[in-house]
Amino acid sequence: MGVIDIIMDSLVFIFAGNPFAPWIRGILGGLVIGGVFGGALVMVYLERKFLGDIQSRIGPNRVGGRFGLLQLIADAIKLFTKEDIIPARADKWLFIGAPIVALTSGFLMVAVLPFDLLVIKGNEYAIAVSRMDISILYLEAVSGLAVFGLFMAGWGSGSKYSMLAGFRNIAKMIGYEVPLGVSIISVAVMAHSLDIVEIVEAQSSIWFIIAQPLGFVIFGIALLADLGRIPFDQTEAEEELIAGWATEYSGMRWGLAFFAEYFHAVVGALIVSLIFLGGWNGLPIIGNLGLPGVIWVLFKTIMVIMIFIWIRGALPRLRIDQVSDLGWKVLLPLALLNLVWATIIGLMWA
Amino acid sequence: MTHKATQITSPTKPSEILLHLGPQHPLQPGPFLLDLKIEGETIKEAELKIGYIHKGMEKVFEDRTYIQILPLADRICYLASNSNNDVYCRGVEELLGIEPTERAKYLRVITNELCRIQSHLLGIGEYTTDVGFLTMFLYMIREREGVVSLLEAITGSRLNHNYARFGGVANDLPPGYKEMALKTLGELKKLVKSHDEMMSSDSIYLSRTKGVGVLTAKQAGELGVAGPPLRASGVEYDLRRMEPYLVYNELDFKVITQTDGDVFSRVKVRLLEILESIYIIEQCLDQIPSGPYKQDVMPYITRPKSGEVYSRIEDPRGEMGMYIISDGSDKPYRFRIRGPAFATAQALPPLLIGSYVADVAAIAASMDSCTSEVDR
Repeated sequence: MGVIDIIMDSLVFIFAGNPFAPWIRGILGGLVIGGVFGGALVMVYLERKFLGDIQSRIGPNRVGGRFGLLQLIADAIKLFTKEDIIPARADKWLFIGAPIVALTSGFLMVAVLPFDLLVIKGNEYAIAVSRMDISILYLEAVSGLAVFGLFMAGWGSGSKYSMLAGFRNIAKMIGYEVPLGVSIISVAVMAHSLDIVEIVEAQSSIWFIIAQPLGFVIFGIALLADLGRIPFDQTEAEEELIAGWATEYSGMRWGLAFFAEYFHAVVGALIVSLIFLGGWNGLPIIGNLGLPGVIWVLFKTIMVIMIFIWIRGALPRLRIDQVSDLGWKVLLPLALLNLVWATIIGLMWA
Repeated sequence: MTHKATQITSPTKPSEILLHLGPQHPLQPGPFLLDLKIEGETIKEAELKIGYIHKGMEKVFEDRTYIQILPLADRICYLASNSNNDVYCRGVEELLGIEPTERAKYLRVITNELCRIQSHLLGIGEYTTDVGFLTMFLYMIREREGVVSLLEAITGSRLNHNYARFGGVANDLPPGYKEMALKTLGELKKLVKSHDEMMSSDSIYLSRTKGVGVLTAKQAGELGVAGPPLRASGVEYDLRRMEPYLVYNELDFKVITQTDGDVFSRVKVRLLEILESIYIIEQCLDQIPSGPYKQDVMPYITRPKSGEVYSRIEDPRGEMGMYIISDGSDKPYRFRIRGPAFATAQALPPLLIGSYVADVAAIAASMDSCTSEVDR
């Protein structure tokens, strides 16, 4: 009997009868939000280092030793000590609220993300703040809130650059939420469930990236567009719109908006690893090597994040009309095709 | 088609807005103001306003002795400092009625071509950031470092070289220079070829650049555009070929042209010109004669006979000309600079009309204008 088993047994003993008491969920929620926050910090650091590697530069290397490990802390101190400027022409409450809305939608998404499924004495314990029957639907719904944050920033800043970025954001959101939604539906159809835990469990034999590669590509592209990363960073295209919707932000308010982006990116990577890369299931042939599922989820998430960074290093930016073209004329028909494919395969499996 | 100085009108419809790009904006190499009237993302009218860093160089030159102008001529545009210096020296040499020594001519060609390479590398780099391709910018900067080091080895400085002198150059090649240069340039050739391949095959890059900002040969001629933007429109106009100065008539090189005149062609011309410049330098290093690199005896004070001269050169950005009138004193009576970047800058507003806001950066950077030179 391993140490983990003993701990699990004692946990079951302590919480027997009411395994998901509200206060446990509270602790779990704190842990998960903290974890994703930490993940976002790791992603910022990884992005600097790995992108530096791609671009043949060193990246942070002064603060905190040779590897610049404390660079983020130095940055945070700098941001906190900067003057907080609210432009005279800004709509104050929209301006203040925008980063908060953006970050909150990330927090809301985290609530339903499962990290592992433990089966102890016949009971299923999903390591998630909350397990819903329709968690994927909920996820899709709250992820749309982030766009409101960006549009509030674009409109509320009282700057033409921000406003153009807000317009672009809306155009992009309309074009890409649809293929994103359709490819999520394809996954749900194949798994016969809207519950992410069930979706991951359905991948125990074959991952959905193999069952519907087209869906994965569409989801990946639409996700990149949703996250506003290169080649879809038209909303903050530096050479066109200065910093896009974030042009007028400064200090920690900007830091919050910046951080919200990375938070969303980590959540996005988590979703990819859960619904396409088998979540806590191990690798197809070698199995899970006796490692806990959480490790597998994190491993896959980091891999997806690395791919995000790699894409950023390798591609130029599309123009906004080309982005819309791609969304409506290519991704949407392909997503529908993929839905048909997923339905047929899903029915055959059933 | 004539090009009047466009004046922007104030928006009439509620869907139109006036967008001021500048005078400080991330897309700009230096301060200028680009006023755009846009509807949605489409540009309706464009107006370029320059003069934010006007330095009054021509007037300053008229108050300096000929030798004092030498280092100042560098500062017209730091990316073309060698060409500026060379064209000034050739003007004064013509007034003085002397010729640089044979070795000095070769040395000037070598430094001019190195200068062209580093200018093109930075130009392409700036341009790639403007289409959101930061990685390529850093690659270009990395490649440029080697070329700048080669220039530094000859001239002793990295940017404002101040190398040419009346009748010669400041100093000779350092020992072992040929091997060093051939090694660096050989590597550069491979890297530029691979970058060219990458930029000709990336589908996103192609869709951003093909058919964008088309400058026809006729338009270019009317606006006085020369250099890579003109050659990208299919005109074989290169002063090194048409009016061979220094030793260009003894060298073998192609004049690079493209036919489309769009953003892609302009950048392609620069990429291929880098390879051609490397070829020229290799020939020069082979053929360079031994002998003095400067005139043995030069007068202590440069006092050309009265007269006037117009000397011109194929600058990295186009045709650079200097018109000098001497009244026999030690200072020029009148000095006039015809800069290439001014013409490329004035070609920008007509190109922008009808394109998207997102293309402003790509088109402006592909013209490779230099604000420092526009506002000389």
